[in-house]
Amino acid sequence: MNRFGEILVKGLSWGMGILFLTGISCIMVYLFSKGLGAVNLRMIFGNTPPLDAVFHGKAVFGGLFPAIAGTCLLVVFSVSLAIPLGISTGIWLAEYAGKRMKSLFSLLFDILAGIPSIVIGLFGFSLAIFLHRHFSQRIYPCLLISACSLAFLVIPYIIRTTETALEQIPHSIRITAPAMGATKLQNIFYVLVPHSLTGILSGIILAIGRCAEDTAVIMLTGVVATAGIPKSLLSNYEALPFYIYYISSQYADQQELLNGYGASVILILLCTGLFFMAYIIQKGLAYQALYRA
Amino acid sequence: MNPVTPENIKIKVSNLNFFYRRQLILSNISAEFEEKSITAIVGPSGIGKSTFLMTLNRLWEDLPEARMRGTVEIKLGGRFQNIYAPSFSLPRLRRAVGMVFQTPNPLPMSIFRNVAFPLKLAGCRDKKMIEEKVEAALQKTCLWNEVKDRLKEKAFSLSGGQQQRLCLARALISEPEVLLLDEPASSLDAKTAAVIEELLLSLKQHCTVILVSHYMDQIRKIADQIVRITEPDKNGEQKYELNQTG
Repeated sequence: MNRFGEILVKGLSWGMGILFLTGISCIMVYLFSKGLGAVNLRMIFGNTPPLDAVFHGKAVFGGLFPAIAGTCLLVVFSVSLAIPLGISTGIWLAEYAGKRMKSLFSLLFDILAGIPSIVIGLFGFSLAIFLHRHFSQRIYPCLLISACSLAFLVIPYIIRTTETALEQIPHSIRITAPAMGATKLQNIFYVLVPHSLTGILSGIILAIGRCAEDTAVIMLTGVVATAGIPKSLLSNYEALPFYIYYISSQYADQQELLNGYGASVILILLCTGLFFMAYIIQKGLAYQALYRA
Repeated sequence: MNPVTPENIKIKVSNLNFFYRRQLILSNISAEFEEKSITAIVGPSGIGKSTFLMTLNRLWEDLPEARMRGTVEIKLGGRFQNIYAPSFSLPRLRRAVGMVFQTPNPLPMSIFRNVAFPLKLAGCRDKKMIEEKVEAALQKTCLWNEVKDRLKEKAFSLSGGQQQRLCLARALISEPEVLLLDEPASSLDAKTAAVIEELLLSLKQHCTVILVSHYMDQIRKIADQIVRITEPDKNGEQKYELNQTG
């Protein structure tokens, strides 16, 4: 490539990077300037004393606490369903599957990753109806159904990142443990998986973000505007993204709109918190697996 | 140097052919390796020396599209065993036949864990014994004094020569009967290489060492016999000459 071309490509990459960062910062600054002022304890807990709400399960009216709790529970349940399934499928694809099986399943998982979330929501809804009719009258769209549907939505990300992380391990590391007498399973658990934890983590972070923000799936599978803190896996619940969607489409006055911005700020902070938690857990796991003497 | 007699043979290779994709890499090798000796394998690069080493611990089996014909028998526990027999346990083979690669390949874990790793794989849980064995292995490779205060640090923080000695210590900790070395000194300075040569000579007491090397003076110093693999001639025949040294 000639000199002009090189400068052009370099300039373009810088330009795109800066454009992207500017976009993100604009959104953040806008959100925080509008929303941060609205965030206070009263907005989260209404008139209920915060400690009573958190520790004694006292009902919160007119506050965001139930929505925050609902989103947290939703993320925790769906990610803990998706992680074991996703990682083990990723391991199977990278380490055990034959060539044909691999291409077949890769295609299927790509299709699954491409399914619009509203369709997965519909699937969850039909599942709930089916279970209600044929299994138990107590089952209707609820936290459990939402968590399962969301897990379904994010499993392909975890599979893909696990598989890629494992496949990128250089051959020299791959044969090190077998040369010392490791069985295939030992190699996977002692060397290959610990070695790809960082890659797997990126998939998990993607999954957490997706579970926390998705509105289409939960709208059809059990989220409601007022439910309080969910009492069991089989009850309705509130969630932050749904609250934001609901407020932005039908706010009554300026104060309610500000609450919507406040909820967005809380959702972003919540996601950041969850990402950090995932990061710390990954670091802890890696330390346990590799460096503890 | 004792003559090679049936009693002191450790490894018997017969009619070994090795293919990668459709290409014949090693053709019709038959060779015998004597117990408690150092054998050097020499020959032009790309001729299949490293591949030959990998047929002795079956490590090539992880390569897709590789095939092998012929038999390899190793005397383990006093009698010859076909290491390619379906009933033969692969982990057992790899513990008995240790290997050190050309480039040091410590695992991304602490120094201590790297050396103790083969014991962990073998299911050893006695902490005190592990600590003793790790120390002994690091002493053997003259690494103990350099690393005893930093056993919990990453193995990658060591220099290249230290990493190679770490890998050697790791190979020695499971007390292998055969040790395969693929140009182990190529990333080492002269002083460390000399340490390794001394070590190999002392290992000969209870271990059969097979070494791929390019350094003729190193080979002359330590090897008891040399196997020279030559380029295939017009008919595609490779030759294997066996020279005794010393």
